[in-house]
Amino acid sequence: MVTGKTMSNEEQELVLTRVFDAPRELVFKAWTDPKCVAQWWRPRGFTNPVCELDEQPGGAIRIHMRGPDGTVYPMTGVYQEVVEPERIVFTSTPLDAEGSALFELLTTVTFAVQGGKTKQILRARVIKRTAQAAQYLKGMEAGWTQSLEHLAESLAKM
Amino acid sequence: MTSDHLSTTFAALADPTRRAILARLISGETSVTELAEPFEMSLPAISKHLKVLERAGLIARGREAQWRPCRITAGPLRDVADWVAHYRRFWTESFDRLDDYLREAQKKEKKHGHGKNHVK
Repeated sequence: MVTGKTMSNEEQELVLTRVFDAPRELVFKAWTDPKCVAQWWRPRGFTNPVCELDEQPGGAIRIHMRGPDGTVYPMTGVYQEVVEPERIVFTSTPLDAEGSALFELLTTVTFAVQGGKTKQILRARVIKRTAQAAQYLKGMEAGWTQSLEHLAESLAKM
Repeated sequence: MTSDHLSTTFAALADPTRRAILARLISGETSVTELAEPFEMSLPAISKHLKVLERAGLIARGREAQWRPCRITAGPLRDVADWVAHYRRFWTESFDRLDDYLREAQKKEKKHGHGKNHVK
């Protein structure tokens, strides 16, 4: 269950807090073992034909997500910090069909023990962005339209 | 959208008064005087905010000299909302699956009695 989501004004940060009923070591492993990551790191209905992780600072992340229509959405990233079992920091860059970078995100995930469970906090913000980014998001979010009411809601939450 | 353009949008949205102005404009175009009413601010101060919003492409203003109605132009705002909405949805769906994965992994651990061997 998502227990908190806020977007700070100045940094445009996405913050998602979630509590998993599992020990912290297991949650950390689920984030760093490629076999585990391939099982959950993707939108609904997608598969991960490629999932390669070199889980150490400076190590590469390479994940391909294949949509229900067969379109592949590759992303690459670099680990900035890997502190077992409490913290992972990585950059990630979704690539378009030509392999060009669309934008770059910096994501920090922390894991804290909370009464036998694990409280995970994910923070993500855009650190670079290119012109193709909007197009990419449009493609991946096909069928998802945002009305003015949605905008009003977003504004109310900011 | 270039990163500079995005920065302009973010900067424009960083101010609560400007967000309140945008929220008001969602219900329809209006005059500067009407916009200024709920805020304890002078018309020039409001005009300054409107200029920032206009430069960011978030609002458009009519050309009538006296009554320059303001209306919202959602394009840049949608771009800003998009990455957050996109990733919120992406991670929320992924975490649902992670939740299932963790449940299964623990079940298997108990069943096979491997205990901590499954955990790095």
